[in-house]
Amino acid sequence: MSKPITAIVLAAALAVSLVTLVAAIRLPGSNQGYEPVQPIAYSHKLHAGDLQIQCMYCHSAADKSRHAGIPAMNVCMNCHSGVTASMTAVRQEEEAAKKENRAAQTIESAELRKLYDALALDETLFPISDKTATPIAWKRIHNLPDFVYFDHRAHITASVTCQTCHGPIETMERVRQYERLSMGWCVNCHRDANENGIAGKQVKAPLDCVTCHY
Amino acid sequence: MPDTPKRYWLSVVERDTPEEVSRSLENGDPEFAPTRRSFLKAAGFTFGALAASSCRAPDVDAIPYVQQPDGLVPGRPLFYATTCGACEARCGLLVTTRDGRPIKIEGNPDHPFSGGSACAVGQASILGLYDSLRLQYPTKAGQRVAWADADKEILATLDRMKQEGRAVRVLTSTVTSPTTAAVIADFLSGFANGRHVSYDPISSAAILEAHAQTHGARLLPQYHFDQADVIVSFDADFLGAWISPLQHARGYASRRRASETSPTKSYHVQIESRLSLTGSNADRRLRVAPGEVGHVATHLAAKIAQRAGASFAAAGLTPSSFDAAIEAIAERLWNARTRGLVVSGSQDVQIQTVCNFINQTIGAYGVTVDLSRPSFQRSGSDTQLAELRAELARGEVGALIIAGVNPVFDLPDAATLSNDIKRVPLVVSTAERADETASLAHFVCPDHHYLEAWSDAEPVSGLVSLAQPTIRPMHETRAFIETLAAWAGKPQPALELIRAHWTMAVHPRAEGGLPFTVFWDRTLERGVAEVGPRPGAGAAPSFNAAAATPVLQPGGTSADGLTLVLYSKIGMLDGRHGHNAWLHEMPDPVTKVTWDNYASLSPETARRLGVEDGDVVRVTADGSSALELAAFVQPGQHDSVVSIALGYGRAGTDRFGRVGPPWFEARPRLEPVGVNAAVWITSTENARQYAGRAVTVTSAGRRRPLASTQVHHSLEPPGSTERRPIIQEVTLAELTAPPAAAPAEAEHPAGHVEGDLWPDDHPLEGHRWGMSIDLNSCTGCSACIVACQAENNVPVVGQDEVRRNREMHWLRIDRYYSGTDDELEVAHQPMLCQHCEHAPCETVCPVLATTHSEEGLNEQAYNRCVGTRYCANNCPYKVRRFNWFDYPHEDRLQNLVFNPNVVVRSRGVMEKCSFCVQRIQENKIEAKRLGQPLADGAIKTACEQTCPAQAIVFGDLHDPNSRVTALAASRRAYRVLEELNTQPSVRYLKLVRHERPAAAAGGEGRNG
Amino acid sequence: MADALIVGRVPLIAGNKVSADVTRDVLSALDTKPSALWWGGLALSMSALGLGTLAIVYQISTGIGTWGLNRTVGWAFDITNFVFWIGIGHAGTLISAILFLLRQRWRTSVNRAAEAMTLFAVMCAGLFPLIHMGRPWMFFWMLPYPNDRGSLWVNFRSPLVWDFFAISTYFTISAVFWYVGLIPDLATVRDREPGTMRSKIFGFLSLGWTGSFRTWHRYEVVYLILAALGTPLVLSVHTIVSTDFATGVVPGWHTTIFPPYFVAGAIFSGMAMVLTLMLVARKTMRLEDYITPQHIDAMCSLVILTSGLVGLAYGTEFFIAFYSASPYEQFAFYNRALGPLAWGYWIMVACNVIIPQLFWFTGVRRNLVVVFVISLLINVGMWFERFIIIVASLQREYLPSAWSDYAPTLIEITTFIGTLGLFFTLFLLFCRFVPVIAIAEVKGVLRPAHGGHAAHDSHSGYSDAVTPEAPRS
Repeated sequence: MSKPITAIVLAAALAVSLVTLVAAIRLPGSNQGYEPVQPIAYSHKLHAGDLQIQCMYCHSAADKSRHAGIPAMNVCMNCHSGVTASMTAVRQEEEAAKKENRAAQTIESAELRKLYDALALDETLFPISDKTATPIAWKRIHNLPDFVYFDHRAHITASVTCQTCHGPIETMERVRQYERLSMGWCVNCHRDANENGIAGKQVKAPLDCVTCHY
Repeated sequence: MPDTPKRYWLSVVERDTPEEVSRSLENGDPEFAPTRRSFLKAAGFTFGALAASSCRAPDVDAIPYVQQPDGLVPGRPLFYATTCGACEARCGLLVTTRDGRPIKIEGNPDHPFSGGSACAVGQASILGLYDSLRLQYPTKAGQRVAWADADKEILATLDRMKQEGRAVRVLTSTVTSPTTAAVIADFLSGFANGRHVSYDPISSAAILEAHAQTHGARLLPQYHFDQADVIVSFDADFLGAWISPLQHARGYASRRRASETSPTKSYHVQIESRLSLTGSNADRRLRVAPGEVGHVATHLAAKIAQRAGASFAAAGLTPSSFDAAIEAIAERLWNARTRGLVVSGSQDVQIQTVCNFINQTIGAYGVTVDLSRPSFQRSGSDTQLAELRAELARGEVGALIIAGVNPVFDLPDAATLSNDIKRVPLVVSTAERADETASLAHFVCPDHHYLEAWSDAEPVSGLVSLAQPTIRPMHETRAFIETLAAWAGKPQPALELIRAHWTMAVHPRAEGGLPFTVFWDRTLERGVAEVGPRPGAGAAPSFNAAAATPVLQPGGTSADGLTLVLYSKIGMLDGRHGHNAWLHEMPDPVTKVTWDNYASLSPETARRLGVEDGDVVRVTADGSSALELAAFVQPGQHDSVVSIALGYGRAGTDRFGRVGPPWFEARPRLEPVGVNAAVWITSTENARQYAGRAVTVTSAGRRRPLASTQVHHSLEPPGSTERRPIIQEVTLAELTAPPAAAPAEAEHPAGHVEGDLWPDDHPLEGHRWGMSIDLNSCTGCSACIVACQAENNVPVVGQDEVRRNREMHWLRIDRYYSGTDDELEVAHQPMLCQHCEHAPCETVCPVLATTHSEEGLNEQAYNRCVGTRYCANNCPYKVRRFNWFDYPHEDRLQNLVFNPNVVVRSRGVMEKCSFCVQRIQENKIEAKRLGQPLADGAIKTACEQTCPAQAIVFGDLHDPNSRVTALAASRRAYRVLEELNTQPSVRYLKLVRHERPAAAAGGEGRNG
Repeated sequence: MADALIVGRVPLIAGNKVSADVTRDVLSALDTKPSALWWGGLALSMSALGLGTLAIVYQISTGIGTWGLNRTVGWAFDITNFVFWIGIGHAGTLISAILFLLRQRWRTSVNRAAEAMTLFAVMCAGLFPLIHMGRPWMFFWMLPYPNDRGSLWVNFRSPLVWDFFAISTYFTISAVFWYVGLIPDLATVRDREPGTMRSKIFGFLSLGWTGSFRTWHRYEVVYLILAALGTPLVLSVHTIVSTDFATGVVPGWHTTIFPPYFVAGAIFSGMAMVLTLMLVARKTMRLEDYITPQHIDAMCSLVILTSGLVGLAYGTEFFIAFYSASPYEQFAFYNRALGPLAWGYWIMVACNVIIPQLFWFTGVRRNLVVVFVISLLINVGMWFERFIIIVASLQREYLPSAWSDYAPTLIEITTFIGTLGLFFTLFLLFCRFVPVIAIAEVKGVLRPAHGGHAAHDSHSGYSDAVTPEAPRS
């Protein structure tokens, strides 16, 4: 009596484990979901999402070059020479100051301090004479193999949205690789674009090897 | 970067495999006995590792600028106009930089010499910038020293010399930079006995001396080959390494293009004793003994004079065996009159005066020979050099500053010279590298590489150009003029020195009266400016016929003795680029030999001596030590001649023993590359002589196989007289004859063949890339080879690998001989991937690594290739190149020269010409971005871009108005091996001969 | 009665054996201690194998450049050896499959060894397509499998892909065929001394063979089917191999005659190798009674036949070259006969066409030493045939500028020696641990009464082969 049952149980267990196994295995090299900790907890959700800053304000090369480009630190300073902390923090300080009726002093968020340190700026955001600015080493997330030549220009020109490849970046506190970015993924998108066009516009997305490999 | 897929996985697994597993897997530790448990454990670990690895890749940093420089967009190149410092010709360059480092040198389109093209040497010179063996800081007696200290000590010594009134000498090569000249003058003005001595390692002093005699002015005329209908060259390799090759080649080529519409072509006679690159392009070639040159020239002069009603060498001129030929040449030359041009590379002043006489008589002066705007590219004086050597010998020189030359290497009798130099109290060298001379100097104050430095040049009177840095100096080097200014007691940055001099001496000569800053900025942007001729140089001196001294009888050569001819190669010049692996691996345009110099002998002589290619011979000249080098059999060379290239055997070139893969059968060369033939240079009172010395050649009984990229030189295979229709030729007559006479396509089935088995599985919409190569313009100068190498990250494989026929050049130039040694005809054929419409390689690749693009490209996906080499076997053109090993750069610093737009191929994959697809993509995307149509000529392949003869045209065959489409329709167009129905995208334009030489009369093989 | 039947016929098995003798004789090899000769052979071939392995490891770790190939000659030793070994294999399949279907009863004594030979040869052959790659670790890209490259398949137009299919198929079928043939004998071994380790192993391997009539009947059917399956392979495999060249544009490769030419050549070389091996086995393992002169004789006649075919092919090639009026084609053959590799070409002609003609003489066929020597020469000749076809053609192609020469490196030579080592190691082991002669089948040809699975054959046990005593007219 018990024999068939155990057999069935075992079979079921085997099946389950096999399925989970297959599900678990990703193709080698696929970094989907890669979400490293960055030296500065920069929030795309805050900047691109809540504050509605255009992607290309910072990644300004995206429409002129192969690389979208990581913004140079002077770009950050365009705003952060003025904005040194979150609004709420500033408000609190102001209220506190009002209560204690003193002049509100400038609040400086810990994360931004890292930026200022890198730029060798003191509390008053003046350059520290004997220190030199050192760039911040961000962790690169969307990293294609060296034998692939992806060109942001071409895709922006063809009015492909950033989100198509980078996912809902404006919702990400910390950026992660949203798509598979495998060759198949690219090729299928190109095929699809040729069939249905992009944003209602008829396009020619080449499928030659030399589109990406040279 | 190489073999990325492999590294991509494995490194991941390696990094993520738990320590203990990997360790125990390596040294099978006891705990890892193959029991079931341990096995399962291992399996578990490894699977875990794999699973983990599939989730995470290695962290890669992305580091932005702190302050992004203006105008710099990451990933986009910046171009700087500058001036070439690779030789004294000083052509204009346009240097491509990426992220602050130069990666490619191209010609400056605005420069009259280069017009966009650059020679092989100029382009290769970028590799020298990243040479880790460059001197990186000043040294005193070989020990590192700070600039300040060096300056202090040197200044002190110089002051002492000043007090003692000792002689101070600045020894340089020809100085084409007005500022440098001024700075030197300024420096020397501080000394009672200071003099600037300049000499050219490859001297052309005889021309200047001859003009001093015949025209009363020591000038080197500027030759306008673009004005010449008939060119007679006595041993002048003006397309190769003579004075200003690029300028000459462009001018020459402009008169060589013959088409149905304009069926004209300049007539070029080469009278020479060895087969030079220039000779290989000649329409008529006389093979004469070195001693005979002057005699032949005199005969020509006499015949011209006779036609002009004058008389020359009327008395005592012995008859010449070439009389008939000379008569014919004289006739043509006389008919061309002012459109004729006679040049001579001879260092015999007498011969030069005869040439001047001819040019004067036909009225070439002012038309093809320009004395009003003379050339400053070779102003060195061998007389002054001789004096300096005498002074050194007498120990009179107190301080010797050596800049840009390497006398101990360049000059004969080096032992004495170096001893004399050692006796000089203060010797300072500004050499970029620790060369033979620098090793004798007390101080070495290294100069910048020219791509790091501010400089200027005036190669020919009235043509001034600026050189600006394309990268911040990589080491603690200092510009020569800064150094000299510092020692003159008024240190100033180079830029200031140049600006100062230009305000004073150059700007006033500029027309248009622009304010200086505007003039400066425009010149800096454009790289070059035309200004008035340099005062004091030029004008139109009067001609003194009496000064032209005929050569009445041929200089005799001893009975069976051989005459030595030293020459300089297009790649090596005088050896100053001996450190450059690209140039060593570039096959000599004529011999196709790489990585060596050799003793060339005519087939007849080789037979007589019983030697063949690669046999080591001992060459002995009376009164100088014997040298041993490999023999090379050179068709078309005179039987009495042994010709050897100068510029080889540089100290330190043994470094190239490291080039090439290390494996147990590798035979890397550990001694220097080649031998230094300068020991055989002789001197007459006013010119150093490279030819005419009697030598004996004996077999040394050893072999040193030469690394040649082409071993078979004829289109007639052994045992057959049928010439393969790979090179096709027409005569000018046939060109204009009615189409029926010689239709280009008649020989071969054109286009799609009946019953074609090929499926139309690659539809061609949009573009259809194609190329056209004009065999008639191509001079074989090999600039395209280096251009391709630099653009496409083609590796250097080293002598041993080339010996094994494994050179990697994507573009090679095939060279075929036809005719007899006396009537030798040469054809150069650039051969690259033909991007066949029906590519044999594509059908056989098992993994679809090579496929056909929708735009007609034969694409090669390196990262898909598994390396079966089936495609290479099946390629009828043999243009596919295989990475037999990893071929890394000599040192990692040189990786900076890599073109970031092209993958560096790994070991075990096939590669080949891609029609510079990276440029195609770039321009297509850019055109789309700007919403403009892709203009014809917007995309230039590297080879096309640099070709001085503009023989290569790339474009869209689907565009009815493109140049390629027009050329494809030309009657001269044909496709190599068309009968195979591979349907290449590359069309060649037939070679146009003036007439069919007797040697190959009626050979229908020539026309296919 | 039996005697009457023998008149005018020569028994295939000499020395009036009965089944028991057969079993004893054949299996003696498994019982007796191996001779010094065997040990020597094993040591030799294993060291060769070791060397070869080292060479391959070095080549893969350092780069394919450790072979003497160059931009012009992309294949040489590698593919030569590949074709050579595949060719060797063919005789096995021919003997075991085709001759079985043709009811050539003399095959019974040699087919086991021949099949084993096939198996080992294909192993050696299969090695080269792998190691000749620039990136062998990517070999699986040769196989069509679903992938994340959207989706990137193999190039079904490329003969190399079909090579992969052909070799794997060939290996599988040969292995199965060989093993099925073994089963009854494995059982025989099992039943000899029950209880021993060996009998346990063989018992496991013999898949519970009972020897009942039904078992035999099923066995017969399966064997027949496998033979039928194997037969087309004899033609297909080498045909596909030949297309590696025939579909190329290389002058000297690009010819329609290749498929039949290669098949003939394959059988030719295979036969030679069978002869070589059997003559050795016969001597060393005292199987004179089972591998009788007339077996040799029969194989010699096959050799003559195939040698003729090969010779014809050589001639045809030259004629077609001349007839094609293509200068490239013509020069390719001029180059074979008079070019830098002419010496190789003439070795090939001598060994493959001229020398085998000696087999027309009975004396030669009967003189086993001579036969042995000739069979070796043929193997040499056939190796050179492939070498010449590949290298001499590639060497001198369309563009004279690209012509080059080729010389093998130590690594290549050692690799080849290594495969020889692999082959003989396996074969020697086979001689020790498996009955070299198909006991059951041989029993079938002893006498009609002792019906093995050949009982239905009316005059089984008697040679229809050409014999000196009763020459067929």
